[in-house]
Amino acid sequence: MPSFMLLLYNDPANWQNMSPEDAQKALQKFMDWGSKLHSSGAHLASHKLADDAGKVMRGHGKVRVTDGPYSETKEVLGGYYLIKAANYNEAAERARDCPALEYGGTIEVRQVDPMMDDAA
Amino acid sequence: MNNEVIVAPDLLIDHLFRNRAGQMVAYLTRLLGPEHLDLAEEVVQEALLKALQNWPYSGIPQNPAGWLFRVARNAALDAIRHRTLAGEKNVQFAAERIRDAEAAAGDDREIEDRLRDDELSMVLMCCHPALPRDARVALSLKTVGGFSTREIARAFLSDEPTIAQRLVRAKRQIRESQVSFELPTGDDLALRLESALEVIYLMFNEGYAAQSGQDLVRQDLCGEALRLGRLLATSSVGTPQAHALVALMAFQAARLSARIDSGGELVLLEDQDRSLWDQKLVGLGFRHFSECAEGTQMSAYHVQAAIAATYAGVQQANGIDWPVILSLYNELMEISPSPVVALNRAVAVSRVQGAEAALAALRPLIEDRSLRNYYLLPAVQGRLLRDLGDREAAADCFRQALERPCSEPEKRFLQRKLRDCM
Repeated sequence: MPSFMLLLYNDPANWQNMSPEDAQKALQKFMDWGSKLHSSGAHLASHKLADDAGKVMRGHGKVRVTDGPYSETKEVLGGYYLIKAANYNEAAERARDCPALEYGGTIEVRQVDPMMDDAA
Repeated sequence: MNNEVIVAPDLLIDHLFRNRAGQMVAYLTRLLGPEHLDLAEEVVQEALLKALQNWPYSGIPQNPAGWLFRVARNAALDAIRHRTLAGEKNVQFAAERIRDAEAAAGDDREIEDRLRDDELSMVLMCCHPALPRDARVALSLKTVGGFSTREIARAFLSDEPTIAQRLVRAKRQIRESQVSFELPTGDDLALRLESALEVIYLMFNEGYAAQSGQDLVRQDLCGEALRLGRLLATSSVGTPQAHALVALMAFQAARLSARIDSGGELVLLEDQDRSLWDQKLVGLGFRHFSECAEGTQMSAYHVQAAIAATYAGVQQANGIDWPVILSLYNELMEISPSPVVALNRAVAVSRVQGAEAALAALRPLIEDRSLRNYYLLPAVQGRLLRDLGDREAAADCFRQALERPCSEPEKRFLQRKLRDCM
C-alpha cells in the first residue's frame, strides 16, 4: 500500500496562552486521533522536530551552511507522520480530524513516490 | 523516540496537568524561593507545552508526571543560567538547591510525600494574612490549583485584567514582605490555617453557586476545594476544623447533581431523589466527620458539618430529625451568628414549632440591609404564609422574591410557587 507523509505546520503562538486544563484537553484530542491511526494499522512513524532554527545547506562545489529561517517564520514544520493509505483521498481523510487543524495548523499531505515501494 | 506507541490515553488521568502544574510550581518555589514564583510558573507552563507538542508524535511516556518534572527542572536550570549570565546575582544558589534536591530524592513514595508537603506550604503561603482575601483565593487557584487567569476570571464572573492585576499585586506583596515558604509555627500557623480554610470554603461556595449547564470551570472549583481541603486535613498540620470543613463540603458536593432535575428545574433538599446523591462523597463526608470530633474546639464548620450529616444520614426526607437540626442552628447562631444562618434557623423553627413561630423568628431579619437583595428571605416568608393559608400575603412575598437577583431555575421555581397562591 502507498505511504504518505503528513507534514504538520503550526504557529507556536497559538499554544502560548493555554491553561494546563486546556493543554490537557488538546493533548487528549491528539491522543485519541493517534490511537485511531494506530488501531487501524495506518501509522508507520511519527516524529516531532526540534524547535530550533535548523540548518540550511547549499552550494555547488563549496557547501555553505547557514542557520535556517525556520524559527522566525510564523508557521513552522512541527513534525510529521508517515502513514499508509490507499490513495490521496484516504490519506487526506485520515488527516481531516487531526486536532492540529482545529488549533489553527496546516497539514501538507505528500505521497511517498510509489517507485520507492517498487524498489523495496 | 520509537513508535511502538504507548498511546495509552488512560495515563492522562483527569486534571493531570492542572494538579501536577500546582505541585511543580510548589516544588520549584521551595527551591527557587517565593520571590521567583513567576519563574516557577513560567517553566512549568513551558513543560506542559512541551508535552503537548511532543506526546502526539512520541506517545505518552510511561511516567508522565516524571517527564513533566524533568522538563520543568531543566527549563528552570536553563533560565537560571541565562539570568546568571545576564548578571543577576543569587540565582545560581537556586540551581544548586535544585541539584541537591535531586541528589537527595528518595523513592517514589518519598517524592510524593515531599510534593504534598510542598503543596501544603504553598497553600499556606498563598493564604498569608498580609494578602487581601480575594487575592488569597486567586493566588491559591493559580499556583496550587493550576487554574489560568482566564479560568479564574470565568469562575468568579470577573474579567481577566482584574484577576491578572490582583495576582501581580499579590506576588509583589509576597516579595516585598518576604513571605517565607517554610511552614509557619505556633500562632502564625493557626492563623494561616484559619485563613486557608476560609479560602477553601469560599472557593467551594463559588463553585457550588454555579448552576448546571453553566461553565464547567465553576463546578471544577468544588473539586479543587475538596482536594485542597483533604490535603490540609490529612497533613501533619491537619486540624479537626479542617476535617469538619471537608465533611461539610463532601456532603454538599454529594447533592450537586440532585439539585436540578432533568428538566432543569430546581429541586428542594427535601424533594431530592436521594439515589442521585453521590454515595462516595457521602461516605467521604462521614469519614471526615468522625475525625472532626477529636479535639475540644467546636467551630462553625463542625456545626455546619453536623447539620449536613443529619440530612445525609437519613434515607428519606421525612426521616429528618428537625429538633436536632434546630438545636444545631441554635448552636451555630452562638458561634457564628449571621442573618443567613438566622434565616436557615427559621426554616428549622417552622418544622419544630410551626409557621407562626418561624415568621416571628424572621421578623427581625426583614429590616436587615444585608438581606435586602437575598431572594430566599421573601421566598421563605411566602412559603410560611402559604402554609398558614394567607395566599394573598404569600403571593406578595413571592413577587418580592422575584424582583431580587436569582438564577433562571430559581426564578421558575418562584413563579410556580406564585401561581400556586392564585
